[in-house]
Amino acid sequence: MPTPGAAAAIEVQDLGIRYNLRLTRRTTLKNSLPGLVRSDDGTPKHFWALRHIAFRVEHGESLAVIGPNGAGKSTLLLALAGILEPSEGEILTHGRVSTLLTLGAGFEVELSGRDNIDLVAAFLGIDHREMVSLAPSIIEFADIGPFIDAPVKTYSTGMKARLGFAIATAITPDILLLDEVLGTGDETFRARSQARIRELIGKAKAIVLVTHDLTYVTEFCSRAILLERGQIIREGGPAEVTELYRQRVTERKLLAEAESQRFAEAPAR
Amino acid sequence: MPRANLRPLMTGSSTEALASPHVKTAQRSVLSLAIEGLRDIAQRRRLIRYLVGADLKRTHADTIFGQLWWIFDPLLQMAVYVVLVQVIFQRQIPDYPLFLFAAILPWKWFATTINDATMSVVNRQTLIRQIQFPKVVLPTAAVLAGTVSFGIGLIALGIVYVFYIHRLSPWILLIPVIAAVQLVFTLALALSLSAMNAFYRDVQNVMRHLVRLWFYLSPGLWTIHEIRDPTARLLLSLNPFTPLFESYRSVTWGMQAPDFGGLLYVLIVSGLLLAFGLALFKRVEPAFARIL
Repeated sequence: MPTPGAAAAIEVQDLGIRYNLRLTRRTTLKNSLPGLVRSDDGTPKHFWALRHIAFRVEHGESLAVIGPNGAGKSTLLLALAGILEPSEGEILTHGRVSTLLTLGAGFEVELSGRDNIDLVAAFLGIDHREMVSLAPSIIEFADIGPFIDAPVKTYSTGMKARLGFAIATAITPDILLLDEVLGTGDETFRARSQARIRELIGKAKAIVLVTHDLTYVTEFCSRAILLERGQIIREGGPAEVTELYRQRVTERKLLAEAESQRFAEAPAR
Repeated sequence: MPRANLRPLMTGSSTEALASPHVKTAQRSVLSLAIEGLRDIAQRRRLIRYLVGADLKRTHADTIFGQLWWIFDPLLQMAVYVVLVQVIFQRQIPDYPLFLFAAILPWKWFATTINDATMSVVNRQTLIRQIQFPKVVLPTAAVLAGTVSFGIGLIALGIVYVFYIHRLSPWILLIPVIAAVQLVFTLALALSLSAMNAFYRDVQNVMRHLVRLWFYLSPGLWTIHEIRDPTARLLLSLNPFTPLFESYRSVTWGMQAPDFGGLLYVLIVSGLLLAFGLALFKRVEPAFARIL
């Protein structure tokens, strides 16, 4: 157990992430949660994807974040990764953060695989000397043979995914943020990537995992948070929280079925 | 609770990425934001270099002549303007192809760079939502890639000189000085435009036409000395591209010193604009991941 008062790996205090709807081009948020977006005059201006979120992840802990689509899980991960700046509250982290959101992100198709390793590493802010020492193991893990010196545009989807995965998992972070990337590529590579993730999970001092797959929650995580509509509904042991989530999913399904039945009967009258 | 050693959060960060304090961006002054922007650029030199390399490989990647288009293109454009102005409008200026060239190559650099840089942030929207990095590297890399291409394009100037060797003077050695002033001006504008374009894509559409109009309002096909009306002349000389074009023309065609006073004016304006552009960019940068 962590000593009381010691710095947590992650400490989130009254976090709020607000989207300005007039400026948001992508409509994913509007689509997923239209009912929430109402201000006084009826025209939606802001949307709180997350509000009043507070939790701690101690060193050695792994936290699962579960919840229905549009609950704010991915937004939370983006905020923890520093990609989204909090509109309210604070996020404090202690150690090197890595997110596996980055599979194949930032590839330049005209450049070779080798050059892309340098480029993505530079985007990630990995020190050049460190990257030079990591490159051989990345190339070995990606296992794409002579293609490493060919432009990425000649790669198959699987090769791209493998190289992306190899780069993303090359550094051993203190804090690992995972967003359902536990399976990539073909059968053999999937087995190897699973092993790599387990290795990273073993080495990381703290983990936050966002997932729909509840088996991961009970297998990997020591604690879980249930998010709904941008708020924490329950925080506790993985078994307890997943059970509550299942209940709520079933309830919602029953409600939806009753609703659609009423709708189906309506024209008959 | 001791919090002294807690650091701001950065994805995949090594020590170099940890410089910025987690102060709400909205409360900071123009100067401190501008300085932070410059520091981002300095710290991510290597990333910018890779991006420039990728940019150069990407442009003309599927053409037979590749980068050679940076040489052919201004030559062909020059031919078009020679036909237009000398044959159709019947204007007689000695060694007109060389006269024109002073404007064509720098303008091609400016126009393509402004276009590329304006799109640079929105073109990376997927990445911006996946990795935390200083976004200021994107327009900066676009501007620098354009600068390399401008350098390659100078070979075309060498080709033109084969026919106008009598116009060659030591003053052409000052081309890099004039280009440096243009670079600061371009970067300043590129930063502001790329940031604004993230919010309103209308910027990229408007700029395409504005840039074209801007060229005709700059002494490219004509010279400022032809303008007799003093008010019009004063207004036109406020355009940064008036001293720039006239200076390029002086050193390549006129065999004389560039307009140093005019260049100084452009440099001062550009410096102020650069501080403003950097500050604007840093100010709105945190919103990019949210709105793209």
